[in-house]
Amino acid sequence: MQFTLKIERWNPETEQGGLDEFTVEAPETATLLDVLDVVKDEVDGSVTYRKSCRMAVCGSCGMRIDGAAALACKTPMAPLAQEGRVPVISPMGNLPVIKDLVVDMDPFWAKFRAVKPWLEEDDQPPVKEWRVQQEELDRIMKEALCIQCGACVSECNSMQSDPEFLGPAALAKAAKFVGDVRDRDRKGRLELYNGPHGVWDCTRCYFCNERCPKGVDPRDAIAKIGAEIYSEGMLSDKAARHAQVFDVSTRATGYLLETALVPYTDPMKALDIKFAMQMARAGKVPNPLRPHRAKKLGEVRKLHKLLKTQEADARAQKRAGVSVDREEAGS
Amino acid sequence: MKQSYAYYPGCLASLSQKELDVSTRAIAAKLGMELIDIPGFTCCGAGDVHEARPEYYLHLNARILGQAEQLEQDTLLTICNVCTLNLRQADLRLKGDPELLERVNANLRDVGAAPYAGGVEVRHLLWEIAEGEGYERLKAIAEKPLVGVRIAPFYGCQILRPSKLLGFEDPDRPQSLERIIEACGAEPVDYPSKIKCCGFPIVLAREEVALGELIQPLAEARDAGADAMVTPCPLCHLSLDAWQSKAAREADMDFGMPIFHLAQLVGAAAGLSYDELLFKRHVTKTHPATDKIYAQG
Repeated sequence: MQFTLKIERWNPETEQGGLDEFTVEAPETATLLDVLDVVKDEVDGSVTYRKSCRMAVCGSCGMRIDGAAALACKTPMAPLAQEGRVPVISPMGNLPVIKDLVVDMDPFWAKFRAVKPWLEEDDQPPVKEWRVQQEELDRIMKEALCIQCGACVSECNSMQSDPEFLGPAALAKAAKFVGDVRDRDRKGRLELYNGPHGVWDCTRCYFCNERCPKGVDPRDAIAKIGAEIYSEGMLSDKAARHAQVFDVSTRATGYLLETALVPYTDPMKALDIKFAMQMARAGKVPNPLRPHRAKKLGEVRKLHKLLKTQEADARAQKRAGVSVDREEAGS
Repeated sequence: MKQSYAYYPGCLASLSQKELDVSTRAIAAKLGMELIDIPGFTCCGAGDVHEARPEYYLHLNARILGQAEQLEQDTLLTICNVCTLNLRQADLRLKGDPELLERVNANLRDVGAAPYAGGVEVRHLLWEIAEGEGYERLKAIAEKPLVGVRIAPFYGCQILRPSKLLGFEDPDRPQSLERIIEACGAEPVDYPSKIKCCGFPIVLAREEVALGELIQPLAEARDAGADAMVTPCPLCHLSLDAWQSKAAREADMDFGMPIFHLAQLVGAAAGLSYDELLFKRHVTKTHPATDKIYAQG
């Protein structure tokens, strides 16, 4: 079968780049990686990309196909050719390009190291192996599937705006350790991930979930850390207070209390009179003294209270379960 | 045939983005869509409660779904991306896990709320009018085509991704808004950032990061020659409209880009007036584009 594709080139020695088009023959079952191999073997040996396992396990061959990051070894080419598409193959985003389709993964690994991706011990190490219940393993199984390919990072919208954002891959790994019952530094981790370029930088664009080739759903992992931070009453970050306004508003009125959102999230922003006047002129500042109230509000208030109790019970049960395991492990 | 829906406007369209609710009701009447109000609906919790208190989020949304079911409607109509994802995610989780559904329903009964039997589908207005019978009705009511008006579609995130929960169209190459723009007689303008984030969820907590995201679609739409942008999400609208002047200052650019709600675009093509669609409730003036539309008589 004939395949045509365009490859974004970059030569760091000459600092020249551009799009090169190639047409090659390959079997109908060929993946993008197979086609790249044919291009390199038969047409242009200087085309540069990473590869290793060829079976979506090593995470080496992340690149963009028409702007969407994916693993080359997991991308069949026939459907694209049948649609008449000539895909543009380019390097992943949010990482510096070294040559052609190869990006520098150093910033990726630096963020990985920054989340302390190892189990922390305390002064009472277990004398034999930890016993982890299946249910406890299941809670972090999705995050454990990550192969560190960088596809999620490539399209992270927040990272494009704040390159220091820890990002979806590192935070998915972080969520695994927050949820790991063997770890002894949960509080320390939460403080670390609650920092200025931590979980609250996530803009919920869901590109990471969309791109992940292994079903890790990094955005959901980030939300799990957010929930843990919130459950500890850690409200130092503006974003946590922003969430609290929604939480409390639904109990108070059933709706979002829009007029409380700005002053409670960030009191300094409430002093931005120019912005407030613009909003008021457009009729976008509701009367704070007469908030909109949902009907049947009693149901929601009872639900809010009931769930608070159930959430506290679930946390207590989880802690109790862990301590029993620990005693057994140390006995 | 008239199609009926349990109508969920959500918080923002009930409060600061009231023009969206008003415009939606106005076009629904023309499109033959009967919107049945859900008595006692609440906020879906947005991304905030979803993240901070996932169990409470699930129950809030189950309660809304149960209320829609009480109205004997099989479709709950949303007009906000965030509400759409929140409600669909809760709905699909509950339908896929009978034990979870029973536990949630036990709590709902406990507080006197209607339980949810799993008989509702959550759909956004965009999906209802972008294909099938809804699209045919849209073409029929667009009696005042917006000839020569160039509109840049801005999808926002949570109507496209995650596609396994939303799944209406290809999240990387969506065409629903383009089809609607064409049905309205206007010209769709293409630009790369139409599927990216507007930054709204973090605009109060991380304004600089959010503005960095917001600048890109505004600049690209302007450079592509758009007269206005249109969005199916009131949160994207607020970001693109109300934060536009801050984004302009941050980028040292001038955008002057009118931002339309989806229902306003359809309403204008259906002959509804500037006042009926409450264009005056926008922070960034819509005049350059609305003058072009309403000058056509």
